[in-house]
Amino acid sequence: MNEQVNLQRIQRQAGLCLRRVSKSFGSVEVIRDVDLDIEGGEFVVFVGPSGCGKSTLLRLIAGLEEVTSGDVLIAGKDVTEEDPSDRGIAMVFQTYALYPHMTVAQNMGFGLKVAGRSKTEVEEKVGQAADVLQLNDYLDRRPGQLSGGQRQRVAIGRAIVRDPDVFLFDEPLSNLDAELRVDMRIEIARLHQKLGNTMIYVTHDQTEAMTLADKIVVLRAGRIEQVGSPSTLYDDPDNMFVGGFIGSPKMNFMDGVMRQNGVEVAGVILQTRPITNRPADGTPVHVGIRPEHWRLAEEGKTAVPFKVGFSEFLGGASYLYGTIGEKSCTVNVEREAISERGSVLNLMADADHICLFDQNERRIR
Amino acid sequence: MTDGLMAVPETPMPTRRRRRRHSQWNGLLFVLPSLLLVTIFFIVPLGMAAWMSLHKWPLMGVPRWVGFDNYERLLTDKSFWSSLWFTIEYTVVITIGLLGVAMALALIVQGQGKAISAYRTIYFLPVVTGFASAALLWVWLSNVDTGLFSPLAQDIGLTEGRVNILANFTPAFWSVIFMVIWKMAGFYMVILMSGLQSIPTDYIEAARIDGAKWSQRFRFIIMPLIRKPFALALILCISGSMLAFDQFYIILSGGPRNQTVTAVYKIFNESFISFRLGYGAALSMVLLVILLALSVIQLTFLSDKGPKK
Repeated sequence: MNEQVNLQRIQRQAGLCLRRVSKSFGSVEVIRDVDLDIEGGEFVVFVGPSGCGKSTLLRLIAGLEEVTSGDVLIAGKDVTEEDPSDRGIAMVFQTYALYPHMTVAQNMGFGLKVAGRSKTEVEEKVGQAADVLQLNDYLDRRPGQLSGGQRQRVAIGRAIVRDPDVFLFDEPLSNLDAELRVDMRIEIARLHQKLGNTMIYVTHDQTEAMTLADKIVVLRAGRIEQVGSPSTLYDDPDNMFVGGFIGSPKMNFMDGVMRQNGVEVAGVILQTRPITNRPADGTPVHVGIRPEHWRLAEEGKTAVPFKVGFSEFLGGASYLYGTIGEKSCTVNVEREAISERGSVLNLMADADHICLFDQNERRIR
Repeated sequence: MTDGLMAVPETPMPTRRRRRRHSQWNGLLFVLPSLLLVTIFFIVPLGMAAWMSLHKWPLMGVPRWVGFDNYERLLTDKSFWSSLWFTIEYTVVITIGLLGVAMALALIVQGQGKAISAYRTIYFLPVVTGFASAALLWVWLSNVDTGLFSPLAQDIGLTEGRVNILANFTPAFWSVIFMVIWKMAGFYMVILMSGLQSIPTDYIEAARIDGAKWSQRFRFIIMPLIRKPFALALILCISGSMLAFDQFYIILSGGPRNQTVTAVYKIFNESFISFRLGYGAALSMVLLVILLALSVIQLTFLSDKGPKK
């Protein structure tokens, strides 16, 4: 109950705005004209391949890097020129960045100590954060005496003690083993539920993005490719990059040709959703279908032939890897449908699950 | 190996003991060269000095056993204690000056970039000149008539006439301090720089986000994390300064009015000017004990319970 009261107290709903933010290192432009609105209390995940600028964008928000142009607004206030400590943010680093010569309690209370807060206040706040993260037994230990997961919790604790408007996480789980990563992911999601603060989380792992985010921001080469909820990005990608990046195994892309009554793939016509800007018949397009959206065709009906290369049985799911025409393709099938190498399966996909992309890899809607 | 042990299960100990003794002899063989060097160049001369210190030992003639007379005499030798006191004063001033300047330089040159590596080289250059050469250079620069400082000060109107900076204690002392800092700061800069460079930038960034100002980051994050290289620099600086000789001998010849005679200078004077080798040896033994005590204190400081990994 007491914990509930404390948590209520630190609950904040501060939003964040990026206005035409660009960042260059010398002649290399790593962030280009990024516009982004984040609502207060949202859990936003920046996701993208290595070198896409997601960490740089986070560091620009934190104030650890200066923007080359553009504005950063946190809780409606322009903080572009402010020091990191004056932006109302707290950050959890990939390496945790716990001061090795300080105990857990000293690490968590360092921000308050340098701000000149009284010892009692520091102890009280550290105690509260330690309660939330179950770190009470470790307060006198040094970071070197803790496990990876415990260090991660201390780093989060240090962020909580700062009582920030916005939490920033820079690939916080990448140094943990697979099992611990899942546990910590759940813990972070729970923490967001409890605290309700705005959280921005950077990762290259699309699973983390899908499971944690209210809103995902997909970045490529310093630009935002698409912003939306995990389900929007999954079901309705704006381009082939987003379609391919979100979802695991990734979306299959095949060559197709527009026909009057659908799209032709490997000599077979597949029905599509109604398209507003429909290209002329005969226009070559890319056809995107997710592995789980293929199904075995009923016998006697026309279907896309899929030549099985090898199969993967994962317990809950089974994947067949093979080819449709020249293009490699992955299909999620029932356990019973696992087939021998070289055999051919007849597949179909529903119109709702077929995404068309033009030659510039942009979505045809 | 195991088979051998199995064959004589009732008496395994002697075999093991023999093997251990054998490997101990091997170990001794490996450390023998350094043991020999230490013995020839440290233990034997130390013993000889200790032996000498118990004698009246002229350069020519027969040494005469005097027991602890030399030690008794040095207790009341004001010039020795004043030289020791001067050495301590010098050590304190030069340690603060050197490590302060070295730290400032290290903070400047710890980054990356072409200009920075050029500065690093420039700051380090004086280190590669010998102490005697640097001191000789300083003698020339400080010369009242043909040097640089006095004529320059006069030319730019800083002083009315030529001022002999080596004629009075204060300017002479500070001029030596300045020379030693110029000559040695680069060396300590490198030691401290290596410490600074080993601090992950994440710590500093985390501290920035925590709201720590530069001075707070320096005090609470940087200094504790470079404690070991700093302690190494401190030990080298203190023990080096306690043995200061060349700069005061070459630049000031102990003057003005014997005010800049250091402990080693005093030992040199007694042993090789007055040829009281026995007394000089006794002074050396006392200085050795002082240095030993200082080193023990510093080593304790170095190996404290500080940061645990």
